Amino acid sequence: MLKLIHVIALSPLFVLAACGADPAPGPVEQIIVREPGAAPVATAAAAVASNPASALIAEGKAAFANCSACHAVEQGAPNGAGPNLVGIVGKAAGGVAGFAYSDALKASGITWTAAELDSFIADPAAKIPGTTMVAGAIADSAERQAVIAYLESITAN
Amino acid sequence: MSKSETATDSPGKKGKWTRRAFIGAGVVAGSALVVGVAVRQGNPIDRLSPLLTDGKNEQLLNAWVKVDTDNIVTAVIPHVEMGQGVYTALAQMLADEMDADWSKVRILEAPADMQYVSDSIARDFLAPNLEVPAIFEPTVSGGILELAQAMGLQFTGGSYSVRATGQRAMRTAGAAAREMLVAAAASEWQVPASEITTADSMIIHAKSGKSEPFAKFALAAAEQSLPAKPTLKSPDKYKIMGQPKARHDIPEKVDGTAIFGIDAKVPGMKYAAVKAAPVIGATVTSIDATTARTMPGVLQILNMGDFVAVVADGYWQAQQALNSIDAQYSKTEGDGLDLDAIFARYATSLDEAGEDGGDMETEAGDVGKAFAGAATKVEAEYKVPFLAHATMEPMNCTAWVRDGKCDVWSGHQAPVNARQAAADAAGLPFEDVTYHNAYLGGGFGRRSDSDAVIMATRIAKATGYPVKMIWSREEDTAQDHYRPSATSRFRGGLDKDGKLVSWDNIHTHLFDPKDAPTIPYYNIASHKIRKVDVPMHLRFGPWRSVDHSQHGFFIESFVDEMADAAGKDGYAFRRELLAGSPRHLKVLDTAAKMSGWGSALPEKHGRGIAFVPSFGSIVAQVAEVDMTGAKPKVTKVYVAADPGFVVNPDGFTAQMESAIVYGLTAALYGEITLKDGAVQQSNFHDYPMLRIDEMPAVEVALINGDHKHLGGGGEPGLPPIAPAVTNAIFAATGKRIRELPVAKHDFA
Ligand code: HEC
Repeated sequence: MLKLIHVIALSPLFVLAACGADPAPGPVEQIIVREPGAAPVATAAAAVASNPASALIAEGKAAFANCSACHAVEQGAPNGAGPNLVGIVGKAAGGVAGFAYSDALKASGITWTAAELDSFIADPAAKIPGTTMVAGAIADSAERQAVIAYLESITAN
Repeated sequence: MSKSETATDSPGKKGKWTRRAFIGAGVVAGSALVVGVAVRQGNPIDRLSPLLTDGKNEQLLNAWVKVDTDNIVTAVIPHVEMGQGVYTALAQMLADEMDADWSKVRILEAPADMQYVSDSIARDFLAPNLEVPAIFEPTVSGGILELAQAMGLQFTGGSYSVRATGQRAMRTAGAAAREMLVAAAASEWQVPASEITTADSMIIHAKSGKSEPFAKFALAAAEQSLPAKPTLKSPDKYKIMGQPKARHDIPEKVDGTAIFGIDAKVPGMKYAAVKAAPVIGATVTSIDATTARTMPGVLQILNMGDFVAVVADGYWQAQQALNSIDAQYSKTEGDGLDLDAIFARYATSLDEAGEDGGDMETEAGDVGKAFAGAATKVEAEYKVPFLAHATMEPMNCTAWVRDGKCDVWSGHQAPVNARQAAADAAGLPFEDVTYHNAYLGGGFGRRSDSDAVIMATRIAKATGYPVKMIWSREEDTAQDHYRPSATSRFRGGLDKDGKLVSWDNIHTHLFDPKDAPTIPYYNIASHKIRKVDVPMHLRFGPWRSVDHSQHGFFIESFVDEMADAAGKDGYAFRRELLAGSPRHLKVLDTAAKMSGWGSALPEKHGRGIAFVPSFGSIVAQVAEVDMTGAKPKVTKVYVAADPGFVVNPDGFTAQMESAIVYGLTAALYGEITLKDGAVQQSNFHDYPMLRIDEMPAVEVALINGDHKHLGGGGEPGLPPIAPAVTNAIFAATGKRIRELPVAKHDFA
């Protein structure tokens, strides 16, 4: 092996050469638990995910990682770089107390329905030119649906 | 599509053309003129032949320039951007020769997709009917080899891009395009071409007051005959080369829009986490996935023979499930090995070679006699450890194999090679694989290997749907292709005046470049340098500056020890050794002068100097250390570098600085150790990186010593830093560091 590398060291193919005759053996053992898109098997660990609605919410909770750097969703938690989003679905834009919104958002007149949220999260600056939410957009529409489902599930009590 | 005109055949050159470069031109949609310089991969020398399979015979090395109808000049760059600024430097070289307006220059990375070069314009290049520019005459077989390595396989490494592709191809393409534009204008205006000048993407005829943008004549230019030997500028005419032009890739890296390999997004994509057998070379004999198969998100669990993979909806789910798998591995010869055993093997091999064994690398004079007759004799042994690359972006690759096609997304130093690796792994012809290259979040040689590409393709082939495989940091650290550890032994002799008259060195391994252990620039009458090979189960890979990373430390430490034995100062001693090499001396003197060499330092502070020419560039560094605390603190590094000509001073300086970050990290901390054959380090807590508060201030002086022979920028800044620091520690404490990393040593 050393010899091989030595001969063609800086040439980019040396790894191939060093990798042996068949670089493409298939699996020795292949356990297919589930096909993509198929509902997960209801096991103890996966129980929560077996309900499609809660599966979507769970997915949304995971996808909220895009947002959590700036937004809290726990009731009473302080605003971060963005306002606390607890109970945001159905609320008027710019309504969280103590948060310094941009003039653009305050003047938007939007009510945060699922559809409004969807277009906002897809491209905040296009939806509300001048908004100070400069990051966190989600391009994938399925992922946005999941985040919105998650936001819907968090209501103020 | 208009055909380019072709120059008349030059019969004398026929038959040899596969070894040559060609200039070709034509028109493609959206662009009025496309000029390229290409070298077809033939079979330049035997060393290359194993690399060139039949299926790849039509690959072109190419450097292109396009002129669009809106007067935008686009440089097509056959190299990948891994933070070294190659896009900008190469575009500068092309744009300068063309007299393009820099603000209207765009940059495009050449795709690994050969369709790009196999369209009919590229076919023109293949026609053996063009006279070859003199600079391409393969007088030095190595020249074409370099080109083939650097461009044909789109390989980015070896600090080659500027000195090979830039010098030989980008500049030629730019100059050829300019001459064709001028010829087109001359014929339309009915004036001699010699009366026409160009500047800022404009063609000017001063006498008649005519002036038009390149775009106006671009179509007509494509019909001009191809200049066989376009005239390149002399340095006094450079306008863009030598300027600190802003880096093309920085804005998107600052605003986060830059796409790295790990950012690949494919509809329906799933994630794979992988774990290979901890002892490299072992196979996975069985897996217990009882828990893993019940875990959320899990789609598939694969025993691939040499590694285990879990495919899941999300990466974290895949990694968690993977962690729960209990795998058994086969026994291998490497099982019992630890680091001491490996160094013991090196010692045995070196002992066996004795005073005359091993493979001779270079020899002059009679070392035996010179050493025997020396007034002062010094012997020393040095060791350096295995090192991981630790690229900030861990190894990853996304692949999709379906319907006889394969798509691969990654950041790779050799995209064409990665594409071939994917083709082999998918069991498909090269043409049916599309390779999508992205920015590399660190390369350092690690991303010249295709192991991740092969693994991802195998997983994707098994699943049938697109899969993004990401190595955990633990996997990245434990399954690297390591910079080899090495031992090097020296015997040196001084005459009665303290002159170095005998140099005897034997070391383990020789990887690349071959000249790394040699010191032709030092004037030592008798010297011999030998190596021994020691078998090893770990995989070795090129690591920034490759063998110079070890030998820079070995050689410059021993030179310092000899200086000390001669009772001389390290700088003065090196000056004597470099007498008669003014270019080398200037670099050494510059670094010494910048540092105020010889001036007093506080108690327990020290200054060390090191000098290492590598990859065609000459670099000297002076490091200052503060040894008053519990561990060494490098406070300042002065760098003098002569790469022949600095194309982008800002970019080159950044390369010197980043080489110090990387090299100092290794010198102070870097060490991969083994226990029972397996790598013990796993993450940054046990394979630490240099922190910002440990970064010395770096001052860089650039010297343009030979504009005809350019050296590289990516690697040459690295080799001197370790010895400069350890020599400084010696100056401050009297303690000689003969084994890296420095962290192994106690200074209390
Ligand atoms: C970089 C920080 C940041 C990230 C990441 C971020 N946001 Fe925001 N968000 C803000 C800021 C700042 C505002 C206030 C905008 C304004 O005043 O124009 C805001 C406002 C909002 C609003 C309007 C709130 C209101 O009270 O009217 C919603 C809804 C929202 N963000 C949702 C999200 C979601 C969902 C994500 C993740 C997909 C996300 N944000 C990611 C900073 C961020």
